[in-house]
Amino acid sequence: MVMVIESQGLTKQFGDTMAVDNITLSVPQGSLFGLLGPNGSGKTTMIKMLTGQIRPTNGQMTVLGLNVLNDPIGVRKSVGIIPEQETPPSFLTAMEYLAFVGAVRKIPDIDEKAAWWFRFLEFEDKRDVLCKDLSRGTRQKLMFAQAFLHKPVLALIDEPLINFDPIMQRKVKKYLAEYVKSGGTIFISTHILEIAEEICTGFAILHKGKLLYSGAISELSGKKQHLSEFFFSQVQDD
Amino acid sequence: MGLELFGSMMKEEWRLHSTMFGSLSFALFPVLIFGIVFMSSFLLPLFRAVLPAGDLALIITGVFLLLGVMVGGFGLLGNEVMNRRFGQMSLLAYSARSLPLSERYIFTNFVLKDIVYYLILWVFPFVLGFAVASPFIGVPPGYPLLLFASLTLTFLFGLSAIFFLSTVYSRSKPALAIIFAAVLAIAGWAYLSYGTGLADLFSPLQLLHNGTWPALIESCVLVAIPFAVSIALFTPEYTGTSKRFSNLLTPLTGKLSFFPYPPLAAKDLVDLWRSGGGVGQVIFSFLLPLGLIWFFMSVLRALVPDYAVLLVFAVTAGIISATMYTWITSFDTFCSYACLPVSVSTLITSKICTFTVLQVIPAVFMVVVTVITGGILYLIPAMALWCAFSFYSLSVSIYLTGLTPNVLVYDVKVLLAFMVLVGVPVMVIIALAFINPYFGIAALLLGIPAVGLVRKGYKRWEGKDMASF
Ligand SMILES: Nc1ncnc2c1ncn2[C@@H]1O[C@H](COP(=O)(O)OP(=O)(O)OP(=O)(O)O)[C@@H](O)[C@H]1O
Ligand SMILES: [Mg+2]
Repeated sequence: MVMVIESQGLTKQFGDTMAVDNITLSVPQGSLFGLLGPNGSGKTTMIKMLTGQIRPTNGQMTVLGLNVLNDPIGVRKSVGIIPEQETPPSFLTAMEYLAFVGAVRKIPDIDEKAAWWFRFLEFEDKRDVLCKDLSRGTRQKLMFAQAFLHKPVLALIDEPLINFDPIMQRKVKKYLAEYVKSGGTIFISTHILEIAEEICTGFAILHKGKLLYSGAISELSGKKQHLSEFFFSQVQDD
Repeated sequence: MGLELFGSMMKEEWRLHSTMFGSLSFALFPVLIFGIVFMSSFLLPLFRAVLPAGDLALIITGVFLLLGVMVGGFGLLGNEVMNRRFGQMSLLAYSARSLPLSERYIFTNFVLKDIVYYLILWVFPFVLGFAVASPFIGVPPGYPLLLFASLTLTFLFGLSAIFFLSTVYSRSKPALAIIFAAVLAIAGWAYLSYGTGLADLFSPLQLLHNGTWPALIESCVLVAIPFAVSIALFTPEYTGTSKRFSNLLTPLTGKLSFFPYPPLAAKDLVDLWRSGGGVGQVIFSFLLPLGLIWFFMSVLRALVPDYAVLLVFAVTAGIISATMYTWITSFDTFCSYACLPVSVSTLITSKICTFTVLQVIPAVFMVVVTVITGGILYLIPAMALWCAFSFYSLSVSIYLTGLTPNVLVYDVKVLLAFMVLVGVPVMVIIALAFINPYFGIAALLLGIPAVGLVRKGYKRWEGKDMASF
């Protein structure tokens, strides 16, 4: 099995806080991998390190075979990222933002691709509105489109569904599941366990920066256990 | 209720700055001002030999007026910028909207907070430094008190005038143009009839000279009227307009294709344009301060040749032009690029290019000033000085602060480093230019250290975690 993400002893300390504590993890290609954990458990910090936005205090990691520490730009060229905070630039319109991302990433036929996303996520009417005037859900749609615009082989997405209504959630879950079927890999952080159980193939549980468990969802069904029960049993033993 | 809101805003402002810049560094700021003023007060007797006391008072008044204007210009416009930067949610002024308080009330508190804040940060330590030194330099004991009243009022006048103008600006641009025209006409008429004695009509300065009650009252009125009018004119700005804009970015990206990173440069320009900061910022953070500096520098004409004033002005204009770097860095946090394959050094390079485009404004300004003051003979050295110091100061800012040049204003260590790195070449080159104006062209050699500093800056900021705010 080819691993698209591998980390060894990954650690990030902010002052006295151990945000991520000695995490060794691998994510196989073609999986929809859920990073689960309560608030403040280190999910966002993990994603930021894996995409070279912040540097680990300790440890090593490779993403798509690239050493993130040596080549963060190379990593970000290939992957798609949805950051935790949906903050597209205030003074660009939704369309301009996608055009901007297209120009930076050198994506051909950006107009058609953007148009497809506006239609798919149902926000064509917001095309020409400044990002600062968009609702949170719409901003999140925009960030979603931005991450998948170049059809990355790997997307790292941080709580991408949290502001979507149930209809949109269903649509996007389907998209993610199909994306993985067609060969992509998705690394998703979330604390909505139902979503994780429904679509993920593999998962890891973080708690207070430590890795409590990592495995395939199928292992759970073997044990006839629901992800939520398992999650609570893991997190509460502590 | 009122005091609580005010108090919480003060705390918030303190935390905002102290977490950004480290609280010790930040707390040291007033101490630094105190120290500088205390020590320079001892030079006063020396100054007196060359500079009449009246002129010195005029210059200090000018500095504080400028300070008020800058705090008003940067502070009020700047706070706008801060809100964008930290997200509206994070500032009390915004979250207080959910409280049962009127917008105007919150805004008044917000402005008062700014005033008190800057008084403590700048005006108090200045006067205190002078007051502590005054017994040693033979200044009558009541004088520091008078100085305090005069400078506070001068500062407040600058702030309140800018506040007024920017409120007018946000309401109606033609009205601002009319007011400007009227002020210019009156000032021109007064200048013709009073000459440089004009400045003495400024009531806070009269207060300093004469220390009379009427002067005090007049000064207070002078401050209070524009302030009250601005508060009355204030209209809360509701965000969430659904105005539509056509795609400016794509055509602009095409036009800027000769730039190293066309989309980044295009985005900077669109930001500047759409934020409405463009024209306002040019007026309030560039033209107005420089106009004031020119006015107060012309006092020096009695002492040094005209061309010297022009050349010193060119250097000053260069350093002030470099602050345009803050205009183009204040709109976005690195967050908007964090998910893209863009490195810090790419971003800085692109900002330098945008900065270069913006330099058209000061370039035109310098040519105009040089020509209308009859300095055309010295156009080449003046332009060389302006250009060299603008780009050199930019490189120092980049080296010291990366993509967050606002730090400069508050972090003492950084500010000191800036003053040394810029101050030393300023002195050397001004000395050269005074020997022969054309030696000023040597300033262009500053390009060499500038390139070095930018290179070092790339290395330095590439290695840091991206700013998380
Ligand atoms: N820039 C920072 N400075 C200091 N501490 C930080 C910083 N970023 C994160 N932390 C701390 O690191 C820990 C992990 O934070 P992180 O954002 O990774 O959690 P999370 O799992 O994403 O939480 P959530 O589910 O709420 O998004 C928290 O204790 C947080 O307070
Ligand atoms: Mg998070």
